Amino acid sequence: MSYLTVSTLEEALTSLSDSSGKARVVAGATDLFLQDLPHSLVDLSALPEITVVEEKDGLISIGAAVTHTAAASSSLILARARALAEGCSAVGSPQIRNIGTIGGNVINAAPAADAAVALISLGAEAVLIDVNRETRQEAVENLYWTYNRSLVDSSKEILLRLLVKPCLGGEGSAFTRFAVRRALALPMVNAAARVKLENGLVKKVRLVAAPVRPAPTRLIQTEELVINQPVDKDTLKRVEVSAAGEVEVRGSQLRCSARYRQHLVGVLIARVLKIAADRADPGKAGD
Amino acid sequence: MKKQVIIFQLNDEPVEIYVDPAESLLTVLRDRLGLYGTKAGCSKGECGACTVLLDDRAVNSCLVPVGKVQGCKVETIENLSRGGKVHPIQEEFVDKGAVQCGFCTPGMVLSAYALLKENPQPARDQIKMAISGNLCRCSGYKQIEEAILSAAKKLARQGNSIT
Repeated sequence: MSYLTVSTLEEALTSLSDSSGKARVVAGATDLFLQDLPHSLVDLSALPEITVVEEKDGLISIGAAVTHTAAASSSLILARARALAEGCSAVGSPQIRNIGTIGGNVINAAPAADAAVALISLGAEAVLIDVNRETRQEAVENLYWTYNRSLVDSSKEILLRLLVKPCLGGEGSAFTRFAVRRALALPMVNAAARVKLENGLVKKVRLVAAPVRPAPTRLIQTEELVINQPVDKDTLKRVEVSAAGEVEVRGSQLRCSARYRQHLVGVLIARVLKIAADRADPGKAGD
Repeated sequence: MKKQVIIFQLNDEPVEIYVDPAESLLTVLRDRLGLYGTKAGCSKGECGACTVLLDDRAVNSCLVPVGKVQGCKVETIENLSRGGKVHPIQEEFVDKGAVQCGFCTPGMVLSAYALLKENPQPARDQIKMAISGNLCRCSGYKQIEEAILSAAKKLARQGNSIT
């Protein structure tokens, strides 16, 4: 066996344990040729249980092998986890979104992967199973080891699905990015927010920006700053300063300088918080 | 990787090849099956010149390990002309001057073909989005967009399905 497209999870787990570390899982495979080829591949993209988006026990469950195209057009994700639909629409090109999967976007562990940034802002949890048939649930931000390296060992563990609490009354989410071109360009910065408002004041908030560290990064100090505040011009101004001040970023010769990236973190975090808040309180949109 | 037998549907015909499954679909199409319509551009998923349809969706064939197409349906630019006649999308590319060097054209036409299959009357923004993964370095995209708009109208007038 060297390339096996499996049709059951059992078959996938058995193939992995039989290959004792020499095989690894793959789904969309769009990054396969950019890395060293493993000895064997177990292709999960046809597994029925991980290619669906559904509402289950009050949560949105997104199969790890759902493509970016499918997630971006899912009515459930558009209505209840809008940041994720927007993040998925920003990945690569239509050709890449048509085959690349959400699970791959997370496990590939690129520091500013658009879908992963959105998932972390939404507070998504990953459900994994290993070759010993043990399952675990982990916050997506805890799956990163270092730049482009996941803590998930694809030779013995499979990401099954991502669970997101739907945005209901008073909650909204949004994703945005800034890049050299509007299509097919890695972002200089991307940012996502999830916010819950009560009587016009922020009660819960998650703000995420990347690339800041190996994993998409929550801006905890800025989150604390906006709790119990209205999302108005004054708050947004303070958010911009706080977010930019909270991060230490690297520059890149191809994308932008560290100084510009830091500036962008502030601008985009304020912008994305405003959009998420407008969605949380549609009556106030446009303030 | 060890060679294995891959069976798939290529341009409506069954194909069976004995190949390294980690070889890209692009090299299999061009170097083993002699279908040179699919162009090899950047070979890393950035230019879209190698676009083909995999189960009706546009993908970069340079990024698809051929093991992945086992049991799937693949369509290349060669499948668009029938009985010596080019497809209406291709006719419009010629009429609107949307072809200069021609290297991006097969990929552009296939992205347009995938779009019109799913959405027979796209708005200009949807056309722009559909070809956003196909780079043209000769001039620009205006004539290409015009050609796709005009092909959609032509197909609607003819009242026939895209295939």
